Amino acid sequence: MTATITANLPVFVVIAPLFVAFVLPTFARRMRLVESLVVAIEAIGLVGAGYLASIVLMQKGIPIIYSLGGWSAPWGIELEVGSLGAFFLLVVAAVSLPVALFARGNLTEEVGGKERVTRFYVLYLLLNGALAGMAVTNDLFNIFVLVEVATLSCCGLVSARNHPRAAEAAFTYLILATLGSALVLGGIGFLYIITGHLNMGFASQELGRIWQDYPHVVWMAASFMLVGFGVKSALFPLHVWLPDAHSTAPSPASAILSGLAVKGYLICLLKVLYIVFGHTLMQEFAMHRILVLLGMIAIIAGSLFALAQDELKRRLAFSTVAQVGYIILGLGLVNMKGLTGTLFYLASHAVIKSSLFLAAGAIIAATGKHRISELAGIGRKMPVTMAVFTVGSLGLVGIPLFSGFIGKWYLLLGSLDAGHILAAAVIIIGSVLCAAYLFPIIRVAYFEPVPEENWQDPGMPQKIALILLAVGVVILGVAPGPFLELASRAAIELLVIK
Amino acid sequence: MRDFILKRVAALILPFICMYGLYVIFHGHVSPGGSFAGGIIVGLSFIAFATIYGLEKGRAKLPETVLNWTESYGTLWYGIMGMVGIVKGAPFLANKLAGVSLGAPGALSSGGLISLIGLGVGIRVASTMVTLFFTMMEEEP
Amino acid sequence: MRILLEKLMINYPYFVAVILFTIGALTVLTRSNLFKKLIGINIMESAIFLMFIAGGNIRGGAVPILDEANPKPLYINPVPSALMLTGIVVSVSVTAFALALIVRLYQSYGTTDARRIAEMRNEVTEG
Repeated sequence: MTATITANLPVFVVIAPLFVAFVLPTFARRMRLVESLVVAIEAIGLVGAGYLASIVLMQKGIPIIYSLGGWSAPWGIELEVGSLGAFFLLVVAAVSLPVALFARGNLTEEVGGKERVTRFYVLYLLLNGALAGMAVTNDLFNIFVLVEVATLSCCGLVSARNHPRAAEAAFTYLILATLGSALVLGGIGFLYIITGHLNMGFASQELGRIWQDYPHVVWMAASFMLVGFGVKSALFPLHVWLPDAHSTAPSPASAILSGLAVKGYLICLLKVLYIVFGHTLMQEFAMHRILVLLGMIAIIAGSLFALAQDELKRRLAFSTVAQVGYIILGLGLVNMKGLTGTLFYLASHAVIKSSLFLAAGAIIAATGKHRISELAGIGRKMPVTMAVFTVGSLGLVGIPLFSGFIGKWYLLLGSLDAGHILAAAVIIIGSVLCAAYLFPIIRVAYFEPVPEENWQDPGMPQKIALILLAVGVVILGVAPGPFLELASRAAIELLVIK
Repeated sequence: MRDFILKRVAALILPFICMYGLYVIFHGHVSPGGSFAGGIIVGLSFIAFATIYGLEKGRAKLPETVLNWTESYGTLWYGIMGMVGIVKGAPFLANKLAGVSLGAPGALSSGGLISLIGLGVGIRVASTMVTLFFTMMEEEP
Repeated sequence: MRILLEKLMINYPYFVAVILFTIGALTVLTRSNLFKKLIGINIMESAIFLMFIAGGNIRGGAVPILDEANPKPLYINPVPSALMLTGIVVSVSVTAFALALIVRLYQSYGTTDARRIAEMRNEVTEG
């Protein structure tokens, strides 16, 4: 029994949330059962992901390959849990459990009505399954399907609040994201037409053999993929949907959207660029330069936009645009340190941004105030929430002993290795700007006169969720051991592929 | 205006449309079509019923709870069929490896678990289409 | 010039796909009516489907249904068609969801024009 479960774990981590999501509507009347079921499945997912990650770490680079239906690679669909897959699985599970725990409390008020809460959980689990699928899949078309599942559930989560603004943000997001997925599908089509394979490994081998015959098609495929995933992961000039969508969504949804959904698309982009195209082809077509350039622009522009916002959630949303810039920049460095840094930064940003959004959500739920200038003295009234927010801010800025620092440090080393002095400078300027838009919130919260209102910390489950995330930020910063090892091994594996 | 002839003709034809949809679902592995196309046809027969006989009667034929359940468990059925392979010690969604006899190629019984999976998917698609129709019709201000 | 024309003649499905894609993308990006945006998305997706299926076509190939009595020498590639069925399912669900959102927006704003909605947005109170 145990052997069967562990042998099939790569597919269980994907289908378990999906199938629980499908049966959830039939329990809609019993709210407690739905909530416990969601938290339970997330906890089981975390255990499963941890187990897979430990196996991958022990096997030292030999990935777990799972062929669906027993059809092996060129014919069937293959799941591959390598270092990269295990790493992202762990990130997804570790972030989605606290967020699900946080959602238990005041979601009913925020989305209005029990039925809508169930719908929220259904979409939440669907998104979760899709993200886990992105982590383990090794098939180009599966990527498209999972991206679409994730996009639709993201749109549903954005429109979960019964408010016309939410519907508007969801529509804008839906149109732009569908444009992006059409481009992704086009890119997959180009690759399939010239290589004849959908399995990434086989497509990569074939592409390595024939790319000189079809340079234009390779260019088209790469640019379609970059723009398609760029729209979905809010790469700077294509980020227009993000601030509205992430700031109008309910807080747990904003946390998961900013923390994980965006990362899922970045992981897909990374897989396509490094596994299918391979780094030699990337350098041949100068894609890495474009990525570094786009990343630098995104860091600076996103941070400047964030500085200009006075609404708390919008500031955090624009900060996501800037942080996506770091990850894209790291993708373009094409060396071991840069890639390790990118992966680690991706994980740490997932944890940090979800803790920030959840803390912001708790503040907004308690005070009803959206603007930073109105939050004077909140640190005294809501000590736990604001402490978590402070830890998250310190992590995002990249103070040593917090998780953001290690990611940024590796990115810095990677860009110096690659000879991009400008990129290194931009990374540091980005940190300074990040401090400039996050620290004023802390200053307002702690060092301004305490108001008379009776604002309080949220209930127990929310407190636990916030503290779990804050502890995650600190652990990643103080003892990054296994995570860093998984990330660096993933980087080595990605760079081995020609 | 609800028309007598329309209602009679629909009453005669709709069962056959529904049957045709099931035919397409079950022949998915030997001919063009399949569970998605067949499920849409089945769903359309109910949608046509609701448009011809009125929304209330359509709702009475397929109450919301029934739709809710078919939608949820149609998909779960897919998962259960996939688990057959795992129970037999083969990978998820295994068909021949799970010891299901496949019969002669081209025959209706040649699909193993595929037609059963198709049934689940078809039911799900049909109920989703009907749900979408009802939601859109009832949401009108 | 002749070579170009010949290429165009041989690969006409791809050119049709490119034209359709451009029409779709332009419609999405330039029209402010929400329905037109949605139609543009659908046109664009059809273009991609067309390109994918044309990529799977083999000239002179038979329908890929195995008939052991009289086997054909050449079959077209069925994989792209199967994949595009999935793509069509996805696009149907996107369309349905977008239509539901448009209905919702029409209920609150009384218009389906994106520009009007943007103007009226500030009048709706935050809540």
